[in-house]
Amino acid sequence: MRKFYKSLIMLAAMAFIFPVHAANDFAEKKIVLQISDNDPFKQTLVLNVANNLIKHYGQNKVAVEIVAFGPGLRLLFEKNANSQRIDGLITNNVTFSACENTIASMTKILGHTPTLHAAAKPVPAGVVRIIDLVEEGYTLIKP
Amino acid sequence: MIKKPSEKILIVAAIIGTMAASTAQAANWLMLQGTERDAAAPRAKVWGFIQPEYSSTSNTPLQAGPWKGQDAIFNQMRPNLKSNKGFNVLRARLGVRGTGLPLDSNVNYFLLAEFGNNGITAGDNGSAKLTDASVTLNHIDGARFRVGQFKTPGSEEGLQAIHVFDYINFTGATNGLLLERFFDGDGSAAGDANRPNGSVGAFRDIGIQMFDTFKVNDWEHSYAVMLGNGNGINRADNNDSMETYLYWSSEQVYAGAGARREGWKLFAWNQDGKRTLTAAGAGEYDRTRSGLGTTFKKGKQRAGFEYITADGMIFNGSDGGAVPGTLNNLGTATASFNVETTGEADGYYLHYGYALTNELELDLRYDVYNRMTDVAAKERKFDTLTVGAQYFFNKKSRLIVNYEARNAEAPNLASAHAANQILDGMDDRLSAQLLIIF
Repeated sequence: MRKFYKSLIMLAAMAFIFPVHAANDFAEKKIVLQISDNDPFKQTLVLNVANNLIKHYGQNKVAVEIVAFGPGLRLLFEKNANSQRIDGLITNNVTFSACENTIASMTKILGHTPTLHAAAKPVPAGVVRIIDLVEEGYTLIKP
Repeated sequence: MIKKPSEKILIVAAIIGTMAASTAQAANWLMLQGTERDAAAPRAKVWGFIQPEYSSTSNTPLQAGPWKGQDAIFNQMRPNLKSNKGFNVLRARLGVRGTGLPLDSNVNYFLLAEFGNNGITAGDNGSAKLTDASVTLNHIDGARFRVGQFKTPGSEEGLQAIHVFDYINFTGATNGLLLERFFDGDGSAAGDANRPNGSVGAFRDIGIQMFDTFKVNDWEHSYAVMLGNGNGINRADNNDSMETYLYWSSEQVYAGAGARREGWKLFAWNQDGKRTLTAAGAGEYDRTRSGLGTTFKKGKQRAGFEYITADGMIFNGSDGGAVPGTLNNLGTATASFNVETTGEADGYYLHYGYALTNELELDLRYDVYNRMTDVAAKERKFDTLTVGAQYFFNKKSRLIVNYEARNAEAPNLASAHAANQILDGMDDRLSAQLLIIF
């Protein structure tokens, strides 16, 4: 019985860890894309670049993470005009990180917390997230 | 002289032959002009367009009546009416639009000014005029509010963005019934040219509009309800009556986005209010306009149809077809602009365009305008066949050439009647226009 519980715990642990890193572990290329300014054209551009990377390498061979901070966080607002494109990229294993520092400062300006896309993953600081990813072997691109 | 149909056809064929695409757009003008993209609009996007053009008629003089031999108003270049041919910068507009505070997509603004020479500016010695200044509030689902001066929800030809208009000149019904001129009097006062007392309406009003669009599968259903002054642009109201505007459109969207989206749209609209004259014919008069139509754009083909009907405040041209302000040959009367305060009119247009290549599009339009249909002796029928070509240098720049075969008649008067002799002198018109959007 103890063996059964042990196996169950191990399986649960694997299930918890595996999905988070599955897209990255087998990737031959790792790219982090930065979106940090207010220009709507840049929003489209960063999504285009992500899409082109997936098309070129294949979704299982490239890990793409888009980190949004500063004015660039607007890309991850729930009602952003590009939200359908973001949905499409998520199905291709592209991940999206949202800077919590930016969220806090925008909350002060707006008077309420901005509602973000459901798939946006909050990170303590966008710039720190980029540094961490670069140390893990990611290449930083700022379109 | 450009008069015989065969000559006209040859000339048009020659023009088209020397040119190497358009747009009866199935676009959602309410949303495109009144709102910005959620969380993806700039704080301030500077934009504009310039439309220099050349226009020419044969300048056939008036064939009969008290002004016989003088210039015919319909053969002169708008807006100044002083020459039958020449160059003009018809429109030169500069604007800015955006969200103000980019973090808040719920508040948008739109500002546009006219620096060109047209009915908006010519009435005030050519000074620049504000054409649009509006703020849109998008806080309530299903009920956006746009407040200020902007295009009113109505006829497709008037509501559409002018920089994607397939032709150079408006159709007869749109020009006569919807591009409103505002006057102090009805033109009956002797010695008074009765010129417009300000800018043309330019399909715009100052007021508040509630509107929104609802998506159901691949269909978009839009509505707009607006209250306005009904007194033109850049000035306050002049009576106690408010102008009401109602608009509905349903559009099956095929592909694309923006002003050149592919789709099939059905629409209907109504505009109702009162106009106040303070000079000759002083009083308050009802003015109603209504219309319905459809637009289609898919692949290389585009088409459009609209029927317009009008009751009250019918712009009725000028005395004897003369240029307002000119004396008759006896020196006893001054030609003036005229308004029939209680008249009726209607009209329609059919449009078809085909993009031969990405660069070249051919367009054909037939339009009819029946003026003063309720008074047999005053009824005038105008029909125009426009053959056009558009050459796109790139997505933002194009050359448009139009040849308009124009005809007019007083259908209830004898062919030898002075009115018909005058209308027989209506020339065809050749126009070329460059459009640069930035």
